[in-house]
Amino acid sequence: MRIAVLLSLGLHPASGRARRAELDAKALELALRLAETVPDAELHAVHAGDPDAGALRDYLGMGLDRLHVLDVAQGADPVPALNRHLNEIRPDLVLTGMRAEAGEGSGMVPYLVAEALEASLVADVAGISDLADEATVIQALPRGRRRQVRLRLPAVLPFNAAAPEPRAPAFARARRGIIERHRAESVPDDFLEACENTLWRARPKRMGLPAGATAAERMKAMTEARAGEGQVMVHPTPDEAAAALYDYLVEHRFLDLQAREPTANGQK
Amino acid sequence: MRKRRDPRAEQAARLLPGGPRPRYGLKVVATETDRPRRNPRAERKAATVSESPRLRIAWKGGVAPQAGTLDAPASRGAPKVRIIAEPAFHVLVIAGAGEIDRQMIGAARLIADAGGGAVCIASSTEAEDWADAGADRLMPLSGLEVGTYDPEAHAAAVLAAIASLKPAHVLFPETPGGGDIARRVAARLGERLFAGVEDIRDGRAIRRANGGRDAMSVAVPRLLSIAAGAFARHEGAPHEARRIEGPGFEPVRKGIMQAKAMPVDPDSIALAEADFLLSGGNGVSDWDAFAELAVLLGATRGGSRVVCDQGHLPRDRQVGASGTLVTAGCYFALGISGAPQHLQGIQRVGRVVAVNTDLHAAMIKRADLAIVADAQEVMPALIRLLAQRKDTAE
Ligand SMILES: Cc1cc2nc3c(=O)[nH]c(=O)nc-3n(C[C@H](O)[C@H](O)[C@H](O)COP(=O)(O)OP(=O)(O)OC[C@H]3O[C@@H](n4cnc5c(N)ncnc54)[C@H](O)[C@@H]3O)c2cc1C
Ligand SMILES: Nc1ncnc2c1ncn2[C@@H]1O[C@H](COP(=O)(O)O)[C@@H](O)[C@H]1O
Repeated sequence: MRIAVLLSLGLHPASGRARRAELDAKALELALRLAETVPDAELHAVHAGDPDAGALRDYLGMGLDRLHVLDVAQGADPVPALNRHLNEIRPDLVLTGMRAEAGEGSGMVPYLVAEALEASLVADVAGISDLADEATVIQALPRGRRRQVRLRLPAVLPFNAAAPEPRAPAFARARRGIIERHRAESVPDDFLEACENTLWRARPKRMGLPAGATAAERMKAMTEARAGEGQVMVHPTPDEAAAALYDYLVEHRFLDLQAREPTANGQK
Repeated sequence: MRKRRDPRAEQAARLLPGGPRPRYGLKVVATETDRPRRNPRAERKAATVSESPRLRIAWKGGVAPQAGTLDAPASRGAPKVRIIAEPAFHVLVIAGAGEIDRQMIGAARLIADAGGGAVCIASSTEAEDWADAGADRLMPLSGLEVGTYDPEAHAAAVLAAIASLKPAHVLFPETPGGGDIARRVAARLGERLFAGVEDIRDGRAIRRANGGRDAMSVAVPRLLSIAAGAFARHEGAPHEARRIEGPGFEPVRKGIMQAKAMPVDPDSIALAEADFLLSGGNGVSDWDAFAELAVLLGATRGGSRVVCDQGHLPRDRQVGASGTLVTAGCYFALGISGAPQHLQGIQRVGRVVAVNTDLHAAMIKRADLAIVADAQEVMPALIRLLAQRKDTAE
């Protein structure tokens, strides 16, 4: 079984320094675990970009022997190079992160790779529970829920932040690991060139205010703790109370006694 | 009508000649200008906007819309529906789920109204009032099973909708499910997705790039996804939301063979994430029953500061201003008085259910269903009921 991992360069959110990308490191962590447990697993880690970037060594330090770097120029589109390279390897499984930390970070790379490889894809993967002729993966959903999905190979699996924490890089291994350069064509990215980049500045925004009422009422609606619907039962017997609670929870579908899909955002 | 006087000329006429400093006589000199005399009463009357419920005078003109006019909108009858019969282009909005749909329509209106376009919402569910939300057209996406996880079929349906409507712009929700569909569609079309747009200004869409440090802007592209909470919903007149023919679509090659929800341990979910919270306060003394109830309900456990201080629950389970601000859909409070610091923590929850012995507790006022009873008696009764219903279900 050939397992490819796509590793991009990360960006520390506070300091802005290059580092290993958190989600990609989680993907590599799972790949390393699979390499130990799955018989005849063959690990193939790829990065498209500058082979001399120091932070790439962090991935090697996690226990990777060799990292294939496709030498794509700064600002060029990494996808054509990645696709050509992966088409030669024909991996059964491609592990990636959901989003890159640096650059555009649109999360399109895994989908474009899946399209080129004609592979299936499940997003927001938190773990792999079974791997044979097909894969069974665990998908992380909002509100801490999980879904089990069985899918065909080859598959592209982008990892979510709910995946297990990656191991810390070891310095000696980082030194010992090999970075193998591959020549690759640099296709200029016309779309990104047409975009204009400035520093992000948060601006105040006028969201939907309660309209129509007086200023005093609007102020009250925005600041006061909301009062409830105010259905009150005073001194019921315990069984009456339990029945009322049960009916209310069932009516509002918080209690199905079966698995339920999470509500959209918890608000009315 | 009398003419206006000219006080300066009158004073100049009273000036007595000679002397080192000017001296004025007492003789009254009547002067007249060409302008008619002002009528302050009439001016005041003209500037008066309203006299009741309170007097408002707009001296400088430009009367601000008055918030307090209670009778005006009602007397005008139902608001007029805005109809865009011959749109210059279409903006297609792919409905996700919940609140973000309205925000997306708000964003789509910004794009459409800038150039005479119409907003079309593609939805697989019927329930919403799309006219009020500001949609001009409604395209039902039929043939999708509601509630099942099938992003491949969903993406195929969206592709068919794009092919049949040929919209100038397509808006997706940047939620876990919606973002997945957006990227599948973009990859299949081979087009760029401008993901997670947070603002649309001067014909340019703006998103954050480089780990959130940079604002990246471009003339509004064809495919874009809208970040949650970034746009205000449409507030103006309702639009017609006319139904148009939904597309038929081919079944697709399936990579995903089976999907099912997995049971998770509710207590492993972070408090801020949990959807159903069972929260205990100082009024709970039977903590074994509390734990058993949480398991039967499938609820995540939380508590007030007092119980965390006493060590009945770990510190990371504290709800409130100095604990966690929770966002649950349902908050079940047992024996919690509802101190301001605690209520702050539950400002964003959907429904509150409370059991308390004190009718005048703040939590009882906040609750949607309030029960004035002893928690130690209600808990075993509810446990009995749940266990019994579970048995009959199996
Ligand atoms: C700076 C600061 C920060 C704070 N931050 C937080 C915070 O983040 N979160 C927080 O929770 N608190 C916080 N507090 C504490 C807060 O002010 C209250 O003291 C606390 O919330 C009270 O908790 P309680 O409702 O469980 O207890 P109590 O106030 O003691 O209320 C117990 C309630 O249970 C009822 N009761 C009693 N017996 C029974 C029974 N047998 N059955 C049913 N009901 C019964 C009583 O009628 C009463 O209403 C903060 C305080 C300060 C000063
Ligand atoms: N230059 C790159 N080289 C290797 N993998 C990449 C590169 N860019 C993105 N990826 C992978 O694709 C994922 C999503 O990236 P993006 O689409 O840029 O947000 C990342 O988490 C990486 O796993």
